[in-house]
Amino acid sequence: MSTTDFLAATDIANGLTLTDDQSCTFKTATKTALDDQTDNVQIIKTACRACISNCGVLATVKNGRVVHLEGNPEDPMSKGHMCAKGLSGIQALYNPNRNKYPLVRVGQRGENKWKRISWDTAIDTIAHKLMAARQDFGAESVFCSTGGGGNPEFWSISRFCNIFGTPNWFEPGCAQCYLPRMCVYDMMYGGTNASIADSNAQEIYFPKTTKMKSLVLWGADPSYSSPASGGSALVDLRAQGIKTVVIDPRMTPDAAKADVWLPIRPGSDVALELAWIRYIIENNLYDHDFVLRWTNLPYLVNTETNLLWRAETSTAPDQPDTFMVWDEKTNSAQPLPYPYNDDLDVALEGTYVINGVTYKTGFQCLKETVADYTLEKAAKICWLPKDKIEAAIRTFTDNMPGGLCLGVATDQSPNSAQAAMAAGIIDLLMGDVERPGALLQRFGTAGATNMIGYCVPPAPAKLPDAQLKKRLGTIEHKGLHMWLAGHAPSILHAIETGDPYPLRVWLERSGNKLVNLADSKRWAKATEKVDFIVHMYMYPTSFSAYADMLLPTEEWLETDMIVESCNKLMARQSVTHVWETIDETVIWSKLAKRCAQLGHEGCQKAFDPVYMGDDLPYWDNMSELLNANLKDTPFTWEQLKKEAPIEYMSEADYRSYYVYQQPDPKTGLPKGFPTPSKKCELYLERMITLGRTGQPYSHCALPPASKDYSPLPYYEEPYESPLLGNDLAEEYPLVMTNGRVPYYHHGTLRNTAWTRELYPAPEVWIHPQAAQKYGVADNDWVWVESLRGKVRGIAHLTTGINPGSVYMERFWNPETLNTKTHGWQEMNVNVLARSQGPYNDVFGTYTLRAYLVKVYKAKEGAPEGIWLEPKEFKAFLPKSAEATPDITKGAQL
Amino acid sequence: MKKLAFVVEADRCIGCKGCQIACKLENHLGLGTNRTLIKEIGPTGEYPNIQMYFLPAMCQQCKNPTCVAVCPTGACHVNPEDGVILIDQEKCIGCKSCVRACPYEAISFNEERHVSDKCDLCAQSRQQGNAPACVKNCSGGALHVGDLNDPESDVSKLLADAGEANVYNLRDFGNGPAVKYILKNDDWLDILPQECVSVRRGKQK
Repeated sequence: MSTTDFLAATDIANGLTLTDDQSCTFKTATKTALDDQTDNVQIIKTACRACISNCGVLATVKNGRVVHLEGNPEDPMSKGHMCAKGLSGIQALYNPNRNKYPLVRVGQRGENKWKRISWDTAIDTIAHKLMAARQDFGAESVFCSTGGGGNPEFWSISRFCNIFGTPNWFEPGCAQCYLPRMCVYDMMYGGTNASIADSNAQEIYFPKTTKMKSLVLWGADPSYSSPASGGSALVDLRAQGIKTVVIDPRMTPDAAKADVWLPIRPGSDVALELAWIRYIIENNLYDHDFVLRWTNLPYLVNTETNLLWRAETSTAPDQPDTFMVWDEKTNSAQPLPYPYNDDLDVALEGTYVINGVTYKTGFQCLKETVADYTLEKAAKICWLPKDKIEAAIRTFTDNMPGGLCLGVATDQSPNSAQAAMAAGIIDLLMGDVERPGALLQRFGTAGATNMIGYCVPPAPAKLPDAQLKKRLGTIEHKGLHMWLAGHAPSILHAIETGDPYPLRVWLERSGNKLVNLADSKRWAKATEKVDFIVHMYMYPTSFSAYADMLLPTEEWLETDMIVESCNKLMARQSVTHVWETIDETVIWSKLAKRCAQLGHEGCQKAFDPVYMGDDLPYWDNMSELLNANLKDTPFTWEQLKKEAPIEYMSEADYRSYYVYQQPDPKTGLPKGFPTPSKKCELYLERMITLGRTGQPYSHCALPPASKDYSPLPYYEEPYESPLLGNDLAEEYPLVMTNGRVPYYHHGTLRNTAWTRELYPAPEVWIHPQAAQKYGVADNDWVWVESLRGKVRGIAHLTTGINPGSVYMERFWNPETLNTKTHGWQEMNVNVLARSQGPYNDVFGTYTLRAYLVKVYKAKEGAPEGIWLEPKEFKAFLPKSAEATPDITKGAQL
Repeated sequence: MKKLAFVVEADRCIGCKGCQIACKLENHLGLGTNRTLIKEIGPTGEYPNIQMYFLPAMCQQCKNPTCVAVCPTGACHVNPEDGVILIDQEKCIGCKSCVRACPYEAISFNEERHVSDKCDLCAQSRQQGNAPACVKNCSGGALHVGDLNDPESDVSKLLADAGEANVYNLRDFGNGPAVKYILKNDDWLDILPQECVSVRRGKQK
């Protein structure tokens, strides 16, 4: 490889400037390209990671170079389909702007002057900075971050933090994406939530045989978020006649094809959910028998403590407590032994005064919670026609079995926990769990991946209690402990102010922090307070301009990972390797090893198999880690690479329905649900425990939050409300919403030519009525402005949006990376988003959606230096790059 | 005689545009060149009672192709074996007559090579027995290719099952567009692909 190639490939026009000190050349240990004339062509079965869907891929590799991609029909979820993002994999892999070698900053921050260094030097430098920060300010002064876009291994970061001894890692998703749903459903019924974009709700992948009759997509748009898997499955379901309801301010493809579309006001979802619950109860539409026998709603709640009345506390850890119910036969409170007692006539509703204490059934509490939420009230709050709301509810309740898929939308504003609680209640009131046709299932698993489908054990117990207690923002927002994560706004505050302690070293792995976090300007400014910042990613992003060191990570076509897809195991496997990239999973391992050598005791012990146990000792390469994950399967990683997709279980066994009714071999009683009461805990008493102690997610007791978390959902109007009486709404009259386009995942792929050609700049969807009022015409460049700043986008006038809302998706411009904007200031909707409170009580969720903006014509036109025309993206087209050895696989440089 | 063409189940198109990228990858298309484009038809109607569907728009494989009629060199021709309209880029002189003649603006112009370019149903890939790239990767399973003149072909059966009332083609200017669109769940609108905005690039000041 020539020096010219290297320099050309880190092109100044759209990448980073390198200093002249680049005499070191790359020694190719083995040349993959064959010297003779015979082409070596292989088709390798792998799995995509352009988003989180893991679709099966057939990659054609010719002489070490990936030349073609298409879907693998053997994948039971994507069934041979691939979307625009995955099909851009080659452009991403050979992108001229790949981070190719470890680089260290030589100019001022933001000057974009870098010098190539070796991996050994990079790891050694970082480890010394980490150890110094630990000594001077405590391990908690080191903080790490990741994000969902671009082939992450989430738990590798969390694990490193736990072992290094810092409680502070965070990511822009988490409280704003997926954690609220995952945690609430876990607490409420002990199973996975019904997020289609997160590859749950696997009932939908059997459209020909499912008994499903209706599906509610609440703030979810599988056609755009996961076209090849979930989106595809929905097409099949609709073709089978399954009725769908879509709740989304924006007319997504799934909304356009729905039987009922409710273009809700962003941020008002919980009000609508409460109205659904009220209507379902009022009209007696719920599954009475299921609610009585398999939920905790008949249990008596002490209204003074909000806790359930226990007749007996179980001493066996896997056996439930015995709760009190009201028996109408004897007109008295009676214990209800698990699972049920048919001799009792158990009351579902009622208020009872016993020995001067008022008790209500959980059902009664729920009914009173939703009492005010009539259809009329919801229509007014949510900006929806009342009859449409009723039609939507009826479409669902008249077509059972069904399911409610709650998408990311409600995770993105401060009512996040309550939205998930209400969604769970709606589905469980209808009995839509573990029966054929329901989304909430306990289907089989190969057990080869852990939480949210990754392979790295996060080793939470290795973080000392004293350090855990310092996790920023998580005494107040204890739901974050489920993901072992800190609270992003509290971390921002700590960086800015040093309160409660300073944060000095930042290791970051994600696409573009400044684009994915709310209130980008504050984050950019905050970097000035951090002594040392490392950015590891596949290519430089805006954030790289604020970093001191850049590390090259692998694109998905270079990566190894186990993938479970319904009843099959698949292998994401490296089909080639370029430059000096390393899988981030191994980078963290290398850092731990170097810290161990520098005397860090926790890191030293992390290499001891006995001490680490199920948390696994650190690994030198992916094979070690993946084989350890496969130990409970009959397969090895080498075998999986050759033979996958492998059916690890028959479809019939995989689709295990009514697991809760199966007898528990120990007791002979039904297994029930994996909750402490073995019932679906719709009255979520455990929210109180969580808020007071951190249980069940923190491994030590924590001081209580300032206020108990509510065991039942409640609606809170957004802080920046457009409703009458709020002065802010006079100045900023429109409500912002976001949502996916199918060409990008989070901050990724803005630097690939074909995706940018397809969607060069963010559309600002605005209803023609609003557009007329604010002087905006179709295809105009407009300013979108909030209290926090203003950015530009292109107006898309459409009746496919609630007239009081505007829609815009995240964006950044790699073409202006080397200018003063660093590409994040032009069209980045998260400049506008709100990182200040109020926050969700349980999770600390801030406001990515449902804040107020104004929209007006940008007389200046397009931002300076951005690219719009197809030919301008030529600089993003793939450049030739020879296959290189992966140093983690034994190759020597 | 065989007549290969697309049958599109428009109800199944989810507008993800995966087909556009699959096509570019398969056919090594440069920037600005597209052989297929997904168009949004709508939304139409009064908010919130509106409809919208997606229209995959590609060469319509016309029975009386104006592109072939106007081509001065014979580059644009009908393959007698399967009825597919092809452009022989060796013969194309880049006069753009076909680009102008196509009533659907389905012919793209490759600026770099200075030749016309359009969908040939992945002719090369079909020779090896593969389906066109867009068909293989289509997430909605909306795209089908087959012999419209063979009543026993899968596409002919698909059309028969759909019923005549649900089968449409783009506006016929006498050129006889062969591509069939099945639309059951929305009202078909007589809108030409070029009347829809494909990619927003913003009005300049």
